[in-house]
Formats: sequence, C-alpha cells, structure tokens
Amino acid sequence: MSRRFRFDLWTFVLIGAWTILLILLVWPLSSIVRASLIDNETGALSLVHYMEIFTTRVYQRAIGNTLIAGFGGMMGALVLGVALAFVTTRFHIYGRALIQTLAVIALVSPPFIGAYAWIVLFGASGVVRKGLDSIGVSIPPIYGVAGVIMVFSLKFFPHVFLITSGALAAINRSVEEAAESLGVPPAKRLFKITFPLILPAISASALLTFVLSIADFGTPRIIGRDFNVLATEAFNLFGGEVGGNPGMASALSMVLIFLSMTVVFAQRWVLRRNVYHSNMIKKPERQHVTGLRSAGLHLLAYGIVLIGALPAFIVVIFSFRRTSGPVFQPGVSLQSYEKVIATVSEPIWNTLTFSSVAVVAIVITGTLVGYLISRRPGVVTGALDALLMVPYIVPGIVMGIAFITRFNDPPLALTGTGLIIILVVYIRRLPYSARSVAAALKQVGPNLEDAAVSLGYAPGKAFMKVTVPLILPGIMAGALMSFVTAMNELSSSLVLYVGSTITMPVRIYLSVMDGEYGTASALSTILLSMTAVAVYAAFHLSGRKESALL
Amino acid sequence: MADLKIQGLAKSYRDVRVLEGIDLHIASGEFFTLLGPSGCGKTTLLRTIAGFQHQDRGEIIVKGERIDNKPAHKRDIGMVFQDYAIFPHLTVAENVAFGLKARSLPKAAMDQRVDESLKMVRLEGYHARYPAEMSGGQQQRIGLARAMAIRPTLLLMDEPLSNLDAKLRIELREDIRDIQRRLGITTIYVTHDQEEALAVSDRICVMNKGNVEQIGTPFEIYRKPVRRFAAGFVGTMNFLPARAENGRLMVGSQSFPFAGLQAERAIEIAFRPENVILANRPLDEEVLHLRAEVRKVTFLGREAHYMLTTEAGEIVAQVADPSSDFIDMEGKPVDICLPLAKIVLFDRNGDLVMTGAAR
Ligand SMILES: Nc1ncnc2c1ncn2[C@@H]1O[C@H](COP(=O)(O)OP(=O)(O)O)[C@@H](O)[C@H]1O
Ligand SMILES: [Mg+2]
Repeated sequence: MSRRFRFDLWTFVLIGAWTILLILLVWPLSSIVRASLIDNETGALSLVHYMEIFTTRVYQRAIGNTLIAGFGGMMGALVLGVALAFVTTRFHIYGRALIQTLAVIALVSPPFIGAYAWIVLFGASGVVRKGLDSIGVSIPPIYGVAGVIMVFSLKFFPHVFLITSGALAAINRSVEEAAESLGVPPAKRLFKITFPLILPAISASALLTFVLSIADFGTPRIIGRDFNVLATEAFNLFGGEVGGNPGMASALSMVLIFLSMTVVFAQRWVLRRNVYHSNMIKKPERQHVTGLRSAGLHLLAYGIVLIGALPAFIVVIFSFRRTSGPVFQPGVSLQSYEKVIATVSEPIWNTLTFSSVAVVAIVITGTLVGYLISRRPGVVTGALDALLMVPYIVPGIVMGIAFITRFNDPPLALTGTGLIIILVVYIRRLPYSARSVAAALKQVGPNLEDAAVSLGYAPGKAFMKVTVPLILPGIMAGALMSFVTAMNELSSSLVLYVGSTITMPVRIYLSVMDGEYGTASALSTILLSMTAVAVYAAFHLSGRKESALL
Repeated sequence: MADLKIQGLAKSYRDVRVLEGIDLHIASGEFFTLLGPSGCGKTTLLRTIAGFQHQDRGEIIVKGERIDNKPAHKRDIGMVFQDYAIFPHLTVAENVAFGLKARSLPKAAMDQRVDESLKMVRLEGYHARYPAEMSGGQQQRIGLARAMAIRPTLLLMDEPLSNLDAKLRIELREDIRDIQRRLGITTIYVTHDQEEALAVSDRICVMNKGNVEQIGTPFEIYRKPVRRFAAGFVGTMNFLPARAENGRLMVGSQSFPFAGLQAERAIEIAFRPENVILANRPLDEEVLHLRAEVRKVTFLGREAHYMLTTEAGEIVAQVADPSSDFIDMEGKPVDICLPLAKIVLFDRNGDLVMTGAAR
C-alpha cells in the first residue's frame, strides 16, 4: 500500500530538521518572548516592559526612528535601484558589465563599511569636509538621520537593482507596444503598464530593503550618533552599559520582529492579485539614444554605482595611508597592515574557521531540507517551510540576544564559545540555502528523475546521477554566498563574542568606535578581498547570473 | 514481445477517486491509446503502470507475471514524457546511452545501439550536441530514442507531442508510429487529442472521470460509439433530443417508424456532420427529414460547415467540395435528410439504446 508509513532517510531528515529548528530557533526565541513578559523586580508575568515602551520617550523615539530609517532606506534604495535597473535594461549603456560589477561590490562590501567610509569623508574630521572647509565651504558633518538613510540607500540599492532588472528584462515588449498602439504616451505607459508588471519585483525588494534597514545595527551606531533605533537600544539595554535590562531589550526585540512581520504581510497583501504570467514572445530591446540624453543616462547610471561602491574604494585607499592615531597623514605606508598582522590577526582566523564550519553545516542541512520541501510535500513539511520564514524577519541582534539568554546555562552552556557564533550564522542562513535548493529542484523537475528510474536506475542513484549534477552549481554558489554573509556578520557576533572568539567585523566595528581608522581600513580591505574572491567564484559557478548573489 | 493485462486497478488521492477499477488487455506489439479529457486519470494510470506510484487495488500483469510489486527501475518500462525530460547536462549521445549504462552493455554494443537509435529518430550526427541547443521537436526525438534504446518490454508515452506545434506534431506522430511498428514494442500512448488518437492507434481506450468508456479500433470508436461520452469526445457529433414511442422515433414534431423502439422514453439521437444531407432529393435509403434554417456558413475550402437551426435544436452539417450557391445560403431555409443507417441513439444515462444500422 502506498499509505504505509515508511521510516526512510527522508523521515529521518524531517525529524532532524524539526529538532534543529526547535533547538536553535524556537527555543532561543521563546526566551525573548518570555523575558519580555517578565517583570524584572517581581519575576512575575507582566506587561510592564511593553507598558514602558509606550510611556518612555526614548523608546518611542527609537520606534519612530526605526520606521524612519526603514522607510527612508527603503525609499532611497528603491529610487536608486529602480532607476538604475530601468536605465540599464531599456537604454543602450556602455559598460553594463562594469556597472553590474560595481553594484555587486556595493552589495557585498561589509554592511557598516559604508557608514565608516562616509565618516572618513564627511565626518567631523572627514577629509572632504576639511578640504572644503579650507576653501571656505563649510558643510555640517554627516552624522544623524540623513547619514543613516543615505548609507542605507547606497548600501541596499543593489538588491533592488538586481531583482527589478530581472523583472524588467522579462516583460514582453509586445505588451508595451500594444499600449503604445492604443495611444498611451510613453511616460504614462511607464506607470500604467510597466510598473504594475514589475510590482511583484519592486514590492519584494521593498520588503527586503526595509527589513535589512531596520535590522541594521552598525550603521546607526556608527553614523547615527544620537539617532537611536530599536536595534541599538536593544543592544545597549542588553549589553549592560548601564547595568542592563534584558527584559526591556527583549520587549524591544519583539517590537522589531513585529515591524518586520507587518511589512511581510503588507507585501503579501499588495501582491494578493498581482502575479502576472507573461509569455516571452518578444524580448525588450535597448533603445539607442544619443547626445545629451545619452550623456545624462550614463551620468545617472555611473553616478549611482560609483557612489555606491565608493566606500569600498575608500577603505582600500585609506588602508595604505600613513596614520598617527585616528588621524590620517600624507603618504603611503603598509603600517596599518603591519599593525593588523602583529596585533589583531586572530579575528581573521576566527572569521575563516567560523564561516567555513557554518557553511559546511548550512550546505548539508540546507540541501536535505530543500529536497524535503520541494519533493516531499505534506503538512509536517509545510509547517517546517513556514517556520523557515522566521529567520528572515528576526534581526541579527535579536537572534544574538536570544542565543545568549538561552545558551548561557546548562544543559547547553555555549556562551563564550566559537560554536555559539557559528550556530547563529547557521540558523540565520539555513533558510536561504534550503529555499534556493528547493527552487533549483523545482526547476529540475521530478520528471528527470522519473526518466532515469524508467531507464533502470534505482531512485537514490537517479538522484545522484541526474539531480545532483544539475543543482550542484547552484548549491556551490549558494554556499559561497552564505560564506560571504557569515564572514560579514556583525550584529549577532557583537552580542556573542568574547576576547578569544572575536571576528573581523566585530574587530572593525570596535576599531571604528575607538577611532583606529587605519586598523579598521586594513581589516576591512582584507575582509573585502576575501569577500570578493568568494563572490567571484559564486558568480562563475552560477553561470554569471547576478540573481545568485541575492 | 509482451502483453499487458490490467485488472480492477483503482487509485485515489486522499478521498478523490482518480481511477475506479480499470480493466484492460493490451496485446503484444499493440499501439494502444488512452484518450480522454484533461484530468480523467490518464497520467495516473500510466504512472501507476510505470511504477512511479502505487495503486490502491488491482493487478498489473506483463507476460503473465505480476509486476506491481517490483520497483519502477526494475520494471523495464520505457517512458516518454510530455516535457521531454531530457537530461540537460548530458550530450545527445549520453542521453541515449543513459539507460544502456544501467544495463552495463559492452562499450561497442552500446555505441552501436546509440548510433542506431539516433538514426531511427533522424538525429544522426547530433551525438555531441547538448539538448539546450536543440528544438522541442528534436528534444522529443532524443526522448524517444532514449526510451527505445533500452528495448523496453513496454513503452509508455504521456502526451509526447502536446508541447509541439501542429505541423511537427503530425510529422513526429508518423515517425513514432513507424518506429513502433518496426520494433514491435507494446506501446501505451496517452493523448487528449482525438485526431492524434485516431491517426496512430491500433486500439483506443476512451476514458472519462477515471472510468473506461469504450475500447475499440479507431473505426469502431468513431463509427460505433457505445457511450454518449465517447461519441461526443471523438470527432464532432450532433445530438438532438428525441422520444421513443411504440416503434416510432419522434424528433421535434416529426415522427418516423423505427423498429425496435418499444419502451416509451426520452432519448437522444446522434449523428456526424458529414452524414447530414442538405436539400431534399430522392435517396435510395431510409432517412429522417427535418426542416432547418441556415444560420451561418463557414467555408474551409475543401469543405464547408453549416450551422443549422432545426425545430429540435442546433446542429452542424458538413458538405464536401461546396459550390458557390451552397455558400450563399446563409439565412435561407433548407430541407435536411439524416440516413437512418448513420444515426445512433443514446438514453438518458449516456448508454447506447441502438444504432440506426441495427434496426
Ligand atoms: N498528486 C496528486 N494529488 C492529488 N490529486 C491528483 C494528483 N495527481 C493527479 N491528481 C488528480 O487526479 C486527477 C487525474 O489526474 P491525471 O491523471 O493527471 O489526469 P490526466 O493525465 O488525464 O489529465 C485529476 O483530477 C488531478 O487533479
Ligand atoms: Mg496528463
């Protein structure tokens, strides 16, 4: 009978996946829920923390600022990303490969490098600001809300760019021509036809950039100054600069999760009817323009990507500058690197080992779980799939706090170990890996395996001979991108590190906070180079599809 | 050479019954077609035979031996898929050799079989190509060569042509038929295209909602439908409500003597468009006369279709080689004749009451 329950490999994987998610996701997060509901003094169940959020100005300001940063970053990234996508897919622009490369550089450079590089240029003692000052032009330093939004926009627009260019390139040109023939002028057509068709892509990237913006911890911390957001407040309260208040930190974390969730549902709602399938009969063409229009379009496209990639260039250049303390001196030197190698090489090794271990675990579990989701549908698997959505909306800082509160004591006392840092990265990145494998498997389609079986191969062998070779490049590309994310993880590591488990992003962050810009630049450059190598390899493996980088 | 017997095969998904006790006997070397509308269970039946899913009840017997306990990869059943299912990471030759490798044929024999198979589907010289560089029609040829190369005891094809354009469909179905004849492999072919089924099959099994409606040669299916569903699904069929009464057939206000129609009941009279004779001329066979008005004429060159309104309902008539005064008939009244030998009567349940030829 087909209904008979078979305890096979996949049952085992299913139980294993549930166990992992329960221990590493549900259990730690439950500690946050619990802590947020417990009165610090009496230890009784109470809503006192939530009451406090609604009565304390500083928290209300944090919520407001989080929303400002989230929407600001989202809007900025959308404007830049959609404009760039539109220009590069609809007009003939010289050096499109270069534009894509620059966008990818902006995408993969460590998240807080942007903030730091803009401070180097426009901060209180920023080079550009000082330069302008000496010729009589005085501009205010970049700190505050404007700086945060600017950094987010420039940091996250590549996501929007890559997602929407794909969608724009997939619009059937005839649809637009039909509108034109019906008498709709080009500008109106853009809003009446083109934008509705790419709405799914735009809203998906809006969601992504919003969630990334409100979860970001390094940027508001470095460039925001007194611009407090939920992530920084939660960190402060937890980090115990003033004694610490884990309950309050947890309540703020809950608010942060709630905001992300609201946006996820809002996006679903926006998209409730707007999924269009078009048949690709006629591919969109790139229009040739000349003269001033062409110059303007090139200026726009290159302007966006160059400013986006600027921070990466800045840190590389400044890593070779002579420094004395926090102040850069004229002249070239390897002094920063010498200092890094002499004093702070430990973070490099920690970063490499933690990331490698995490990625190996992510790839193995992600592949198995991805297979389960796409090939063994069912209630239990469906619930697993839904649970895998959770890490998408839990900011790193919250996950870090959850881990440290839950794994502080036996039976799983992991605080201060490298393992806890690895596990956070593992659970945060696992869904991406599982989902991309599931998507790849959907593309391969079960018929190919059936074909192999009908030709005489046992199912396991058919999977190995047909499916694995087809999804392997995707898995490897995904693994490298997980590696990149793992190497650049700051917020959760910052909560979880101790002296011996410090990672490069944490070290860079601390250096920036201490004003050791030389060390920060050198370390950032090393991190950036390692990232670049991994990204290049991923790009190569995925057949040069930018989508692999998302 | 292998015959296939299916007995009482039933299959449900949850509580939806998809196959309800299918009985088939397919002779060795036969080209047997499952024909039916989308969702009637053709794919389910085929995949159950292939072993990709398991039946709830019933037996599948090949060459007198039950195969339903064998796993799919041991059944030695070749399969051709609707979406081709060509391995994109292997060359054309590697695709065809894939099943031979599982059978560990010696290298020389394998190469020879690959060459021969590719020649058979007219793809010689494409050995080293990758599938991505080939058209849909060519990909399905690879699929056919790959399934044939292992010389399976049974070949299953699930709508292999439905993703191709009309011209290629006709070309490839002829090739499939020729190759199948040459190799004599017992074949079950699935399609929802009745013309395709008529063109290639030795026998057709018309299916509906998980049941077998009728099994017969293409001629029998077209000319001697035993179920209203089969009559309506294969080709175009006119249906008009009628009554049976004391040896008479009543259509509209007309009444005709009709031997064998005793019991009084509501029935339906069915006839093909090509059997409707326009104009009231003397004929040497017994006919039903009806008056009609021509609503619309569609000229198709070789023939013309007439939409007619009779007092009993709307029908279509087909006239071969129409002349120009035939084409100008729109809006005019016309007398029509239906030869009794060409009509079929169905009852309310869609079962055959009797044929006009059997009076
Ligand atoms: N895996 C499945 N789960 C549930 N229902 C299914 C499944 N596969 C097919 N069905 C249902 O079984 C019926 C028959 O499907 P199928 O055999 O694919 O029909 P056909 O090939 O004739 O179009 C359809 O109603 C379909 O919805
Ligand atoms: Mg089907």
